Amino acid sequence: MSSSILEEMREAVIQGNKDKATSAAKKALEAKISPMDAITNGLAKGVREIGDKFGEGEVFLVELMAAAKAMKAGMSVLLPEIKASKSKIKSAGKVVIATVQGDIHSIGKDIVATMMEAHGFEVANLGEDVPIEVILKNVRDQKPDVLGLSSLITSSMPVQRKIIDELKAAGLRDKVKVIIGGAPTTEKWARDIGADGWAGDAVTAVSLAVRLLAKKPA
Amino acid sequence: MFELLSRNEVYAIHMAAMEVLERTGILIQHDEALKILKEAGATIDQKKKVAHIPEYLVKETLRKTPSRHLFKAINPKYNILIGDGNSYFTNAFGAQSTYDLNTGQRRASTLRDLEEFTLLADYFPAVDYIKPNIIPQEVSQDILEQTMALSMFKSSEKHLSFLAVTQEGFRDVIEMAKLYAGGEEEFLRNPSIIDTGLNNVPPLKYTANIIDIALECAKYKIPFDISTGALASASGPVTLAGMVVQGVAENHAVLVLTELVGPGTPMIWGSCATIMDQRHGTASYGCPENGLIHAAFCQVAHYYGIPYYGAAGIVDSKVPDAQAAYENTMNVLTATLAGVDVVHDAVYGIVETGITASYEMFAISNEICGAIKRIAKGMKVTKETLAVDLIDRIGHESNYLTSDEGLDFTRKHLLEEYWIPSLTDRTSRPDWEGKGSKDMVLRAKEKIKKILETHKVSPLDKDVEAKMREIIKARAKKKP
Repeated sequence: MSSSILEEMREAVIQGNKDKATSAAKKALEAKISPMDAITNGLAKGVREIGDKFGEGEVFLVELMAAAKAMKAGMSVLLPEIKASKSKIKSAGKVVIATVQGDIHSIGKDIVATMMEAHGFEVANLGEDVPIEVILKNVRDQKPDVLGLSSLITSSMPVQRKIIDELKAAGLRDKVKVIIGGAPTTEKWARDIGADGWAGDAVTAVSLAVRLLAKKPA
Repeated sequence: MFELLSRNEVYAIHMAAMEVLERTGILIQHDEALKILKEAGATIDQKKKVAHIPEYLVKETLRKTPSRHLFKAINPKYNILIGDGNSYFTNAFGAQSTYDLNTGQRRASTLRDLEEFTLLADYFPAVDYIKPNIIPQEVSQDILEQTMALSMFKSSEKHLSFLAVTQEGFRDVIEMAKLYAGGEEEFLRNPSIIDTGLNNVPPLKYTANIIDIALECAKYKIPFDISTGALASASGPVTLAGMVVQGVAENHAVLVLTELVGPGTPMIWGSCATIMDQRHGTASYGCPENGLIHAAFCQVAHYYGIPYYGAAGIVDSKVPDAQAAYENTMNVLTATLAGVDVVHDAVYGIVETGITASYEMFAISNEICGAIKRIAKGMKVTKETLAVDLIDRIGHESNYLTSDEGLDFTRKHLLEEYWIPSLTDRTSRPDWEGKGSKDMVLRAKEKIKKILETHKVSPLDKDVEAKMREIIKARAKKKP
């Protein structure tokens, strides 16, 4: 019984079916499957599978986005139970992500956020044209492992540098890994401004975050 | 030569775009612009900064938009009349990396690359006016536009189009252009000695700095291309017709604003729209859908009586290979046959969707575009070219090479009938082997080196150059 419910959750995610993911998650709770088990062996399993296939060029980005949304729908059923039982979700890490001040491009950054979520990161997406002080406040308050800064136009690139400088001034720089991205940015630019890494696409951004956190001293 | 849409389909796109402009509106982060649009009759949602633009406003301002633009060059032999029925080609825009011509290594682009690519664009006959092919990485942001402008002013006699990122940077470039044109008065009479290009933020958004630059252009009547940068299935609908609808609405918002402020400002109304590749999440420009988008967009622009500008030759391949050649050929040809007035990114000296410049690709694309221009020229059919009397006199025994009359006729018409390649190999095998069995990329490399060694443009006046440098210096000093 429980294995067929887990399978239904995995399948719902792979199919990108939000309704099915929600109902399967409810069934799991009714059948007394532990919410952690439901995530790890149900929802997350589906997302991992589809993420791997995307990496191989076997599925389309739309399917990956739909899978991530289905996972989120299932999670919203399971999360209150997890909070009630006071157990903790095993997270790959916490990410704060934003498009910097002066830039209103959203899509690339949102894809990265979705991919990060699908790979088990806890993501706070601050949106676009985010003031520097708001980013600093979020780093201070949320204590993320990774800060992702997106810039899609050359005129907003200097803001990435400014944020890193202000993190240093506020004594926060060594508390968080800063990764940057966006069409006009380069690996060299990331080095020049003292970021920890650069990614040219969403798949690389996720593996970069995983790599940086693996290196992080405990 | 190629009409993708029927008249009714073009009209349906127009009607749909008008509905988007009126119903959904365009988000414009610029209070002055919103005020101007409001006074002209648009409904403004102040809180959301969205302008709902009625159809009559589009029609009124289209009436003020020129249908032909004379782009001036410092050397008048390079003047071009956009909208005269020809397809004019530009080179590529904005590579931040470059494959080094000598080492073949991929490295950061430099100012020297910009100078060399501009000089090559001056030399290549397929390039009708010149875009900044390179964004040099060693130049600091505060003087980037100005430094790039100087480098381009020095390296070509053709019409030049400049990078405009900030209002103050572009104002400096305008001051430099006044010096270049031979004084303020001369520039005010001929502001089309320069132009620039702007993109929106799809879907349906414009940032303040884009609008600032558009208003600056409207003030002087400096031509600029306004082109939607929407990606189908990401920042625009996956349906190609829907993409064009969204792009038309996006472009019209800026056309309305510009013509309200500066009636008669030349608008090069266009599109850099393409698709997002759904397997990799990347923007693909070398796709066949790109050519279709331009063909449709062009018909809509011509329905409005304005020239169309399409970024049609961009390649996705990482190196100048067979993929790069087919991508460049397919979309430049499609755009040209569809009657696109300016095929931007046609002579494409870049690979990797605008990221890495390739000298070799530039020479190869010049060759491709030369051949495409020949196709666009078509076939001349007159009594003379039908050559019936000559065919009769040559008859069955003689030919067109050895008989006097045949030879004269061939010599007379050869250059108007034939396109003469400069890089293509049509030799016999022994000849090809004798010259080292070189493939096109290697031949391109050798050709580029030779052009860079030998091609010269008339130098910039020393005083003018010194004054331009002062403008750059003054800006650099202002930096905190």
